[in-house]
Amino acid sequence: MKKTVDVAIPLGPVHPIFKEPCRIKCETFGEQILAAEVELGYMKKGIERIMVGRPWQEVMFLAERICGICSVIHNFVFIETMEKISGVSVPDRAAYLRVLANELDRMQSHLIANFSYCYTIEHETLGMYLLNIRETVMDMLEYLTGARVTCAYIVPGGVRFDPDEEDLSRIMKAMDKVEEEMLRYIRMFEHGPLIGLRSKGIGIMTAEQAELVHAVGPTLRASGIPSDCRSEHPTYQMLGFTPIVRTECDNFARIMIRFDEILQSIDIIRTIIKTLPEGKIRGGGTIGRGQTTHRGEAPRGELTYRIKSDTHGRIQEIAIQTPSIMNIEACARYMIPGGTSVADVTSAYISSDPCIACTER
Amino acid sequence: MASVEWIKTFFFAKTAPLITPSHFREFPHVTDKECTHCFQCMMICPAPGAIEVIRTEKPGEWKPVIHLGHCIRCGLCVEICPELVLDSGRVHTKNAQDGTYMQFQFHITVNPVICMGCGICSVACPVNKEIDPQLAAKGTSTSDEVIMRVYKGINTVFHEEKCTGCKTCEEQCPNRSVMVARVLEPLQITEEP
Amino acid sequence: MTLLQSFKNAVRQRSIHVCYVDTGSCNGCDIEVLACLSPRYDLEQYGIYVHNNPREADVLLVIGGVTPQWEDKLKMVWDKMPEPKVAVAIGNCPISGCVYNRPDSLTRPPAKSYIPIAAEVPGCPPRPTEIIQAILSVAPLIFKDWEIRR
Repeated sequence: MKKTVDVAIPLGPVHPIFKEPCRIKCETFGEQILAAEVELGYMKKGIERIMVGRPWQEVMFLAERICGICSVIHNFVFIETMEKISGVSVPDRAAYLRVLANELDRMQSHLIANFSYCYTIEHETLGMYLLNIRETVMDMLEYLTGARVTCAYIVPGGVRFDPDEEDLSRIMKAMDKVEEEMLRYIRMFEHGPLIGLRSKGIGIMTAEQAELVHAVGPTLRASGIPSDCRSEHPTYQMLGFTPIVRTECDNFARIMIRFDEILQSIDIIRTIIKTLPEGKIRGGGTIGRGQTTHRGEAPRGELTYRIKSDTHGRIQEIAIQTPSIMNIEACARYMIPGGTSVADVTSAYISSDPCIACTER
Repeated sequence: MASVEWIKTFFFAKTAPLITPSHFREFPHVTDKECTHCFQCMMICPAPGAIEVIRTEKPGEWKPVIHLGHCIRCGLCVEICPELVLDSGRVHTKNAQDGTYMQFQFHITVNPVICMGCGICSVACPVNKEIDPQLAAKGTSTSDEVIMRVYKGINTVFHEEKCTGCKTCEEQCPNRSVMVARVLEPLQITEEP
Repeated sequence: MTLLQSFKNAVRQRSIHVCYVDTGSCNGCDIEVLACLSPRYDLEQYGIYVHNNPREADVLLVIGGVTPQWEDKLKMVWDKMPEPKVAVAIGNCPISGCVYNRPDSLTRPPAKSYIPIAAEVPGCPPRPTEIIQAILSVAPLIFKDWEIRR
């Protein structure tokens, strides 16, 4: 039967809700969305082309600037790939500190994702609470690494700065404060009647559909599939990490899983600070020739780097796979058309935490 | 009088402008230590055109200049400077506490297949000119002390360790056969028990 | 006339509507602009409202080195804004291109060559306090006695 389309509504590229330029074209029938299509290409900077022929100390900063929100994980995975190529080992203390910086970064990324969602469903109060508690996390990140967003903390063979006892106790105190506040906000989100109406049962993507479009990260784990690259990482295995799964498959589950992961990150940070081994923070070692693939878990999902380097550690070929492209596709294919109205398009889109900057690079 | 104050605070009170904390890595500022113009800060800088070491008006004095709008506040120049000329945030304090430092090595590779032995690289090299003034004046040299020169029709590297990594040869090479690798190694002083 | 004008200046300084346009940044400056909204920095106590709608904006925050897609669109967004208007470049990217300004890059900085930029905030990314200070210092200069100068 021929599909009847009333109006094709374009949203974007400059739209009050979107932080980044992106265009969603929705084919509508009345209030119902029949199909949606995401148009990308406004942010292509050609970072992979710039990276070729440069040593790690220049590529590290380019890798950080693939995505400003999750900059630590890009730094982390890039340096780990280079270490895997040349067999550089990392001291235990440095490995723990890397995870500490990464978890702080994950917390602030999840908080800003949830802030965007609350802002989109016009629950500005909760959004502002989340943005305020994010500043505490950012302060700790700044205290540990020396910068708020682009930290440049992880270098081959270790980390750049070593926190002393005072720094660690300050982070610990901040974590107590964040946990206390977070529990309150989670209660607000879970039992808020307006939030329930705008999020429960909207933007449904079942487990089969999620597997079909290769969704990753919290978007996949909210559909009931326990897949997390952190459970393969040796340092996270030492810390006893298990992925969090929810089975509601809707917007509510995707936001709740981020809240739960923030609490999990707080637990991981506490374990790290309690069991932080003494010793060196830099093992030394230069980058050599080789080719390898390595992956890690960004706040938005699986992040893969494939790098080929020459004798003196200059990048010859590089391919980066970032998580958001799969999530955006899943969003356009299943979440938006799944019986939602025009009013829910933006909230379903934001609930998958899209990041156009790292999608297009 | 008090009521005027009250009205003023009621209408115009704002949260105090927040100060930048001291542990934030600000734009590097130049201290009064003497710069030896080793150019390592320029070699390590990941942003194009962010730092320059230039002569000041006083004869024989050099100074690094940070260009705002290009500097990305990574703090690598602060960390590598051997004379502690630049300063930013807690970088020096932390490095002194942990005994961490960074070390540069420069490697010159000449691709013999595409090198045509024109010698532009060895004439352009600023270190070569200082070592052998004849090379700067006439364009030919017989000294073995230079970094590289054309020897028997092929560009040969004699002293790789004298290279300062400025990449002048790489920029001047007409067919990109000379490549300079800046290999950086982050290190920490091992504590002897 | 002058009394009315000074009254208008005073009112206008305390009501600034801001739109930000991302022309290919890394998101770092975006979230720092967003952090300005948070209760700690509280952009709205100075009367600055972030609307993200160019048709009702006074100040345009340009973020990012300009990608090929944005070369004409940036001018279009600028033209849609009502007078008086001012553009502020946030971060290194619209000033110089930051780390993307390399031979193989697709970005075409600076943003100055597409629209008139009144102020630039260096940093990669700048702190929220620096952004707020830039907007507060540039906006009164542009909006003061605009009707007379026009």
